[in-house]
Amino acid sequence: MRRRRNRDETQDAQHGIDLAPMLDFVLNLLIFFIITAIFVKEYGLEINRPASYEQSNPDGSTITVGVFGNGEIAVDGRVVDLRAVRANIERAHAAKPQGGVLLVADPDAKSGLVIETADQVRLGGVWDITFTTAE
Amino acid sequence: MKARRHNPEVEDHGIDLAPMLDFVLNLLIFFIITTSFVKEAGVTVVKPMAATVEHRDSGNILIAVRANGDVWMDRHQIDIRDVRGVIERLHVERPEDSVVIVADKHSNAEVLARLMDAVRAGGIRQVSLAAVPRSGS
Repeated sequence: MRRRRNRDETQDAQHGIDLAPMLDFVLNLLIFFIITAIFVKEYGLEINRPASYEQSNPDGSTITVGVFGNGEIAVDGRVVDLRAVRANIERAHAAKPQGGVLLVADPDAKSGLVIETADQVRLGGVWDITFTTAE
Repeated sequence: MKARRHNPEVEDHGIDLAPMLDFVLNLLIFFIITTSFVKEAGVTVVKPMAATVEHRDSGNILIAVRANGDVWMDRHQIDIRDVRGVIERLHVERPEDSVVIVADKHSNAEVLARLMDAVRAGGIRQVSLAAVPRSGS
């Protein structure tokens, strides 16, 4: 009788895996991942760089957009306002549909203006933009 | 003694941990999946605004360019000539990473071009230039 009760107690005691260490471990992992989680959302424009000499030298089907150090923008050699870039690109793109845009910036041009110009070019319908600097 | 042990009132001898454990495991899996190990640049710059921006999920190496031309990566200011080596190392570690260059709107385009070349030379082809999304145009 006494032996039977002892066996009952030991069987009762190990009626499952002990979850406490696993729970500690999982909670530690959880806290680690909560702390390291950074919800960075960075939005950007993808712009190419010339891969070859030919690509950095415009042929007839390329629309050239220049950004100068004094803040002026030229589309195919004509100085235009930033707000007029889109319309000019639309017109030039209609004339040369398969050509991309070569964005030539002065080395001291502001990159904010370069990015805004690239944005206007994309709004004008050309998404193939190659960015280069004028030496 | 034996009679009490089989009493149903005594059997719930604590809080039932199973639902809490389910919940915690779900949270854990969520945070493991969403963690992306972004390499933040460490400085804040004034970004230009653009209407045609897109979000890239794997864009998690941020390179910041301040208005005076300083280049910041991973919370340190580094020389622009060291960018290529750092990018090479990061590209070997995680080949699916892509780069976002966060340039101040008053920085020079030359720094931007040199940075883009350095990143490409380091082996990462996916480079985008950061901008603040603007609704409409």
